Amino acid sequence: MTIAGLLILTLGVLILLLASLGLFVLKDALSRQHSATKAGTLGIVLVVTGTALIGGSWAWGGRALLITVLAWLAMPVASHVLARAAMSQRGEE
Amino acid sequence: MMALLVVTVFVCIALGVLRFLLGPTDCDRIIALDILFSAAVVLCALAALISGRILFLDIAIGVVLIGFVATLAWTRLAETSRPQYKERRQ
Repeated sequence: MTIAGLLILTLGVLILLLASLGLFVLKDALSRQHSATKAGTLGIVLVVTGTALIGGSWAWGGRALLITVLAWLAMPVASHVLARAAMSQRGEE
Repeated sequence: MMALLVVTVFVCIALGVLRFLLGPTDCDRIIALDILFSAAVVLCALAALISGRILFLDIAIGVVLIGFVATLAWTRLAETSRPQYKERRQ
């Protein structure tokens, strides 16, 4: 259980690193928000799942589940709003 | 092991702050803020693991909610403070 949790935790942190590298690899705001919101959500969910697996009790699992549900509710809305703002600000640098 | 993960998250924070300072438009800064809040949640989870206290996961719940509201509010501000939008409203 601890080994699996550590693996998932490491994977989540690496995906978060990938998401923040995307801020510099991609070229404009519209493509940057893809890497920030999608990969950021996956990173958060993996890290929290790994934390719950290492913690090993329902006190950890319930909070991890709550964070996962909140991230899944919040991040797509943020992504949509960011994409709309990036579209309307396109062209002015 | 945990120290390595924390250092990796700090690299993410450094990249986010750099984009926050460099970002040509307001949208880039809001996206960098999003990454910074994600990194804050991950740091809270790692702090909970290292110290063994569940309390830090409760803080992570609060950080997720604050990040959502901050992103929405700032995006709304960036969108509605532009000149075209004001002309359309009048």
